[in-house]
Amino acid sequence: MIFFAVLIVLTFLAQIAEFFIPPLDWMYNARIYIVPIIVFYGAMSLPFPAVMALAFFAGFMLDALTVQVLGGRVEISVGWSILLYAVLAAIMHGLRPLFIRGRWEVHCIMSGVCTSAILLSQYLMISFRRGSLFFTREAWWQIAGPGLIAMLMAPLAFWILHSLAGLTRNPYRPDQDAYDAFE
Amino acid sequence: MNRSSIIALIILGAILAYFLTFGAEGTRNLQAGFYKVMSPFLSSGSGLKKQLTSVSSGLQTLEELEKENGSLKVENRSLKATNQALRDVEHEVNRLRQALAYRERSLFRLVPAEILTRDSSTWWRTMTINRGKNDHIEPDQPVVTDEGLVGKTATVGDNISVVLLISDENCKVACTVEGTREQGIVSGERVTGSVTPMLDLNFLSKQANLSPGPKVYTSGMGGVFPSGLLVGTIQSFRVRELDGQARVTLAVDLSHLEDVFVVTGRK
Repeated sequence: MIFFAVLIVLTFLAQIAEFFIPPLDWMYNARIYIVPIIVFYGAMSLPFPAVMALAFFAGFMLDALTVQVLGGRVEISVGWSILLYAVLAAIMHGLRPLFIRGRWEVHCIMSGVCTSAILLSQYLMISFRRGSLFFTREAWWQIAGPGLIAMLMAPLAFWILHSLAGLTRNPYRPDQDAYDAFE
Repeated sequence: MNRSSIIALIILGAILAYFLTFGAEGTRNLQAGFYKVMSPFLSSGSGLKKQLTSVSSGLQTLEELEKENGSLKVENRSLKATNQALRDVEHEVNRLRQALAYRERSLFRLVPAEILTRDSSTWWRTMTINRGKNDHIEPDQPVVTDEGLVGKTATVGDNISVVLLISDENCKVACTVEGTREQGIVSGERVTGSVTPMLDLNFLSKQANLSPGPKVYTSGMGGVFPSGLLVGTIQSFRVRELDGQARVTLAVDLSHLEDVFVVTGRK
């Protein structure tokens, strides 16, 4: 439970930090997203109900801070990001046995893929709302770029979070096959 | 899947279903409430960022000095740092003096605001300012600087507001072109890879044949933006199948804004 609280606090701080990280102009204004990496590490290191709670928290914050209400219209309803995070975190949770077998690179790659999946889903939703769908080079970079950055950041972030999990004596660490403790 | 997982899924599903029924007003209230909680953190973050930027620029100056004058003594460094600090103060004074002058000569009632954060997401061009309902700010009020139009308020909390920038595709502004009778709708781009985004001025007549240079002003149609606010300058014009479209360079450098004004009415 302590580690769950730690991840909630880190998610909150990461969401605030994202406000102050400027976009990368050399990567067509792609942004750096830290929250998905924390959530997806949580998906491997927490029991399923806590994973869903963490996904809810991250998705709710994303919606509450970024979704635009224009006149009488909401571009993406509050809740869609929660659903996205929940589905992707559940997939990551399902891949946990790979991590236990030492295939950590799969989760690093998946963190990037899932980050891009969130952005692609948002882009498709707003395109549907605005009535036209097009993919420019800039759009592809702004979808794929954050995913690539997340992939690069994931090993370091996972190592730090893994250390924190150890410090808080989290019994559900990816290196321990401790399903039984939560069943 | 065990029982606790199933219960978690049911609870999540119920909350999701509840959220998805939210209309525009419900969402706006939820966001305003959440921004109220977040505003101390965003204000602190903004202050911290300014301090860090100031420190890093100071360090950069020292580095440059070190390269140029390897034998500089501690006293010289101290003097340079003092000068840097004074320059910051001078810049601040000039900025505020300019803002005050604009506020006094403006025809509108203006509420000055400081920018806390900018462009926090990939798909929406927004920024947050440190003024809200407590300062009589309401949704859909124009946001300007002495250089021109910046955008309009969207979600408004007690002490914080989200501004939808003019560079966003959803911020549509009725405009006229200087020296012509041409009218059109300006809007931003959905995706831009540049730090200085361009605007599109749509629905011009095909015969407009605009050359680069004329200024684009708000026409006052639509009720949100008063007429006469500078939006930008025509850069190019092309004829499309049904209308003419001009590319417009923004009058305001959105990436370097520090202060803005919210137009709350006429004087």
